[in-house]
Order: sequence, then structure tokens, then C-alpha cells
Amino acid sequence: MAELNTIIHQPVRLKIMSALKALPPAEMLEFVRLRKLVDATEGNLGAHIQTLEEAGYVAVEKDFADNRPRTRVRLTRDGRRAFEDYVAFLRGILEA
Amino acid sequence: MTLSPSQASESLKDIEATERRSAQVFSYAKSSPYFILWGVIWMAGYAASGAMSADGPTHFAGPMWSALDVVGIAGSAVIGYRQNRGQPADAEGRRTGMRYFASIGVVVLFFIAAMSVIGPIAPIRQAAFFPLVIAMFYAIMGLWRGTRFLLAGVAVTLLTLFGFFWLRDFTLFCYWMAAVGGGALVLAGLWLRKV
Repeated sequence: MAELNTIIHQPVRLKIMSALKALPPAEMLEFVRLRKLVDATEGNLGAHIQTLEEAGYVAVEKDFADNRPRTRVRLTRDGRRAFEDYVAFLRGILEA
Repeated sequence: MTLSPSQASESLKDIEATERRSAQVFSYAKSSPYFILWGVIWMAGYAASGAMSADGPTHFAGPMWSALDVVGIAGSAVIGYRQNRGQPADAEGRRTGMRYFASIGVVVLFFIAAMSVIGPIAPIRQAAFFPLVIAMFYAIMGLWRGTRFLLAGVAVTLLTLFGFFWLRDFTLFCYWMAAVGGGALVLAGLWLRKV
């Protein structure tokens, strides 16, 4: 019996995963944009991204764009699969 | 830990809402540089058309606009390349790129066909017709892809019509379109960047 993925289930992390899942595969989302999409503070978002990164669900890349530091996040293949399993789990509850 | 059906339903709604918003913001951000590029092209083209027409009719406007269109298409190709640089090359990405340039080709062919059917018209009418058609495409795109595209199309339409019916002079209309038509596209492009 499938279990609830508690890493993804947290509200802010769920929004992070949802926002990233909507992008084409391998597409990245800038930290600033992600913060506005999920409506979180910088520190809060950073902590949740770290949790997801440690779980292997997201990958973080840091570089420079127009001479300014830039942080971008993308969903990993494992993250995409885990998110799809999580959504299937939720739908399973509704269909039970 | 278990979830009730209502909790599961709420989570699914949150997912759907966030995914929809994220996809929309992504679409806006990708489109932003194209709006700015063509806004600058309109500014240059209409300003040059106005300057060239100040002393009377000119036959240079057509070739000038053709050259600017080539610049715009080349610029769009560069934008597309930079946006997709580093992304894994796949069939869908290539199809998207081909569809974009095919769309430009369709628009060009439409204008050629329309002008050949309509026949010679006053320069000011021709100058107003093109942006109205482009604005229509933006508005239709907005119905499917997001309200900001729709509003951009409506703004360009209204500004074009206002200038056409208020100014009634080709040279002044060209300067009007350079400032507010091109300006509207540039501002729309900057707005599309914002989340």
C-alpha cells in the first residue's frame, strides 16, 4: 500500500514541486521567480529547496547571468517520478 | 500519516493552481524578449517610414520594412538559441522552433495575399492594417496562453485605431505608431518578465 510522501506533502515543498513540474523537462526556474510563485520568504524557500535537494528531488545550479549571481532549480528525474507517485496517491484516496 | 478525501482534494487543487500559474509565468518569460525585439523593430520602422514620407510618397518603405523583418527574424532565431542553449536537444524542441518560424512565414504570406487581393490602398491604411493583424494574433494567443497576451493585443489595437482615426496623416501616424505601437510592445515585453 502506497504511503504518503511526507517530504513532498509539506505545503511549501508541494508548491515548489508543482511549480517545477509544470515546466518542460530539464527546464530550470530562477530562485527569485520560484519565491514569488510559492509565496515564501527567501530563507524559508532556501530551507525547503535544501530538503528537496537532499532527497534527490530537485537539482540546484548556481552561475552568473549579466554579471549577477543566479540560482536556478529544476526537477530531477527521481523528483518527477516521486511527484507523479504522490499525485497518484492523492487520486487513489479520492477514488477509494 | 493518512489523508482524508477532502485533504487529498485540497492538495490536488493546490497542485493544479500552482502548475497553471507556473506554466503561465514560464510562457510569459519566454515571450518577453520577442515582444521587446519586435517593439524596437516597429519603433525603427515606423520612425523611418515617417521620416521618409515627410517630403512626399516614397518607394523605399517596402524594402526597408522587408530588411527590418529579416533583422527581426534573425534576432528571434538568436533569442530562441540562447533560451534553449544547454537544454537537451529533442524532437519537441525542434518542432517548437520550426513552428515559430513557420508561423512567421504564414503571417508574411498572409500579408502578401491580403495586399494582392485588397489592391492599392492609401499608405496610412496599409500602415494601420499590419499592426491590427498582429494585435489580433496576440489577442487570440492570449485567450489560450494568458491574459497578458490578450491585454497586449487589445492595447495595440486601440492605440492603432486611435492614431488612425485621430491623426489621419500618414507621417504623423507613423511617428505615433513608432512611439506608442512600438512602445506598447516593449512595455508589454517588460511586463511579461514580471511574476
